[in-house]
Amino acid sequence: MALLKVKFDQKKRVKLAQGLWLMNWLSVLAGIILFSLGLFLKIELRKRSDVMNNSESHFVPNSLIGVGILSCVFNSLTGKICYDALDPAKYAKWKPWLKPYLAICVLFNVALFLVALCCFLLRGSLESTLAQGLKNGMKYYRDTDTPGRCFMKKTMDLLQIEFKCCGNSGFRDWFEIQWISNRYLDLSSKEVKDRIKSNVDGRYLVDGVPFSCCNPSSPRPCIQYQLTNNSAHYSYDHQTEELNLWLHGCRAALLSYYGSLMNSMGAATLLVWLFEVTITVGLRYLHTALEGVSNPEDPECETEGWLLEKSIPETWKAFLESLKKLGKGNQVEAEGADAGQAPEAG
Amino acid sequence: MAPVLPLVLPLQSRIRLAQGLWLLSWLLALAGVLTLLCSGHLLVQLQYLGTFLAPSCPFSSLPQVALAAGAVALGTGLGGAGASRASLDAARYPPWRGILGPLLVAGTAGGGGLLVFALGLALGLPVSLDKGLEEGLGTALVHYKDTEVPGHCHAKRIMDELQLRHHCCGRHGYKDWFGVQWVSNRYLDPSDQEVVNRIQSNVEGLYLTDGVPFSCCNPHSPRPCLQSQLSDPYAHPLFDPRQPNLNLWAQGCHQVLLDHLQSLASTLGSILAVTFLLQALVLLGLRYLQTALEGLGGVIDAEGEAQGYLFPGGLKDMLKTAWLQGGVAHRAAPEKTPPEEVPPKEDLPEA
Repeated sequence: MALLKVKFDQKKRVKLAQGLWLMNWLSVLAGIILFSLGLFLKIELRKRSDVMNNSESHFVPNSLIGVGILSCVFNSLTGKICYDALDPAKYAKWKPWLKPYLAICVLFNVALFLVALCCFLLRGSLESTLAQGLKNGMKYYRDTDTPGRCFMKKTMDLLQIEFKCCGNSGFRDWFEIQWISNRYLDLSSKEVKDRIKSNVDGRYLVDGVPFSCCNPSSPRPCIQYQLTNNSAHYSYDHQTEELNLWLHGCRAALLSYYGSLMNSMGAATLLVWLFEVTITVGLRYLHTALEGVSNPEDPECETEGWLLEKSIPETWKAFLESLKKLGKGNQVEAEGADAGQAPEAG
Repeated sequence: MAPVLPLVLPLQSRIRLAQGLWLLSWLLALAGVLTLLCSGHLLVQLQYLGTFLAPSCPFSSLPQVALAAGAVALGTGLGGAGASRASLDAARYPPWRGILGPLLVAGTAGGGGLLVFALGLALGLPVSLDKGLEEGLGTALVHYKDTEVPGHCHAKRIMDELQLRHHCCGRHGYKDWFGVQWVSNRYLDPSDQEVVNRIQSNVEGLYLTDGVPFSCCNPHSPRPCLQSQLSDPYAHPLFDPRQPNLNLWAQGCHQVLLDHLQSLASTLGSILAVTFLLQALVLLGLRYLQTALEGLGGVIDAEGEAQGYLFPGGLKDMLKTAWLQGGVAHRAAPEKTPPEEVPPKEDLPEA
């Protein structure tokens, strides 16, 4: 009992082959789009690798790039096969390869589906990399004289301006680190000396933030220093003031940016996967339909196409049997070889 | 009546003219699309930068005229492509015979006029940008503090975003901020003696400081941004105001915006010039094709030689005929077309 049988006459077969040829070339275009999406994500991750501790995982963009290239290759090959399917002479040279090729196509579709799933699920690893990277970024903010870290201030400032965020999880993160270099502190001033003595590590901590945390939508000029001291500024209450600085943390802002990027790429990959499954199913029908033709020497006859020759449990049993036979065949050959060798030795 | 600029066109030349015209028409359509895109881009930029231009500055009319000119060029290109394709096929030509005349008139008068106008604007308007920006930026600086005043409440945000995005500070430099009150009175403590002193120190009663808003800060500076007490060399350790430093953005927004808008206008101007040239060629070619085929009585494949011309008679004869026929519309066309036709005529005999 074949699975999902469909009758095909000559005209239907020709139309199926032509339709598949067109779909394959569209799918090559989709493969190129997947490739460029992967490349774009890779570039975006590289751009901000400074705040990700240079240890971010490039698994998702690399797999998208790989799948895009494979999709182009497989689909152009399938397109060629469908084109040749209309000519019995050319089709004859493809015939022996079609069954293993279809198996490879099914495996590729499974891989494509897994990549789509990865796009949705791998956000979590990004979060921990970002938390660590941003912490380091803020720690090295003041080291503009240290080679290897001198760009960190610029990177953090530009990041906070572009993503409209401040600090790791909020602006108070800046209160806990020394972000003003000792080089620009007047160490003879009493106030500075008091602050440095007031904590164990001898750091100059202020309740202030860098200028890049300022929100341009605030109606008043930006208040950056003495943020927790209401009396330092006229008509200011730090507990109700919301527009002065960016309220979001950069970790959440970057996560949501990359998350939405990966979600849309996952959605695109799922669409391409559906398309590829349709193509594989169509190719299988074409394969089985054309197989029915070659038995009688009559190209105009009506044949049947199906997905599986027998129903699913029977096919699975037959597959296991063939595996066992393959194993037994090797065993018999090995025993024969041993038996052959023993009389020679003996 | 002697025809103006006649050209003998045997069958092969007609076919080659039609094929060359088809290619040129598609190029014209492409140029029209480019004009549309470029003027659309300029329009979008002006939506956002328009607050820094004085309302009296006529610069904002340039993208609108260029949009119209681009649309007409696109239409002419598509029409020309269709007509030249149809002229190679005897069955398809008859419906085009009637359309071709009005198409040529519309293309020359409407399209040519609009393109010349837009080109003139693209060349002349950037001169007025200087004054417009001067006024507009001055107003924006003065209204920076008016975040509670309806009509100007967005001035602060827009000015900050301009300085952050275009990496500039003030009109011609950061010292422009020293001359305006950019802190709103709402956030000034009237009981603070220092504030009172500052307000009383100038005639207009403005609170002027030697400080700048945060958006002037340059992230490339190695030290945290210094925004206040910029003229006092002793206020900050290791800070010398006379030394050029990276602390704030060095350029003024006037120069940055001027360069930006002028480069956009000159790109648009060059695209318009190319479109104008292509349109002139296409219209000329269409006219020759039309008159040659009319000479054969609308029969495409006739082997005979036909004569293509621009006008059936000289200017005086044309006016006489037009006057006699009472057609006032024809008077506009001959006065516009002769000046543009003489230079490109040399290209046509090769077709």
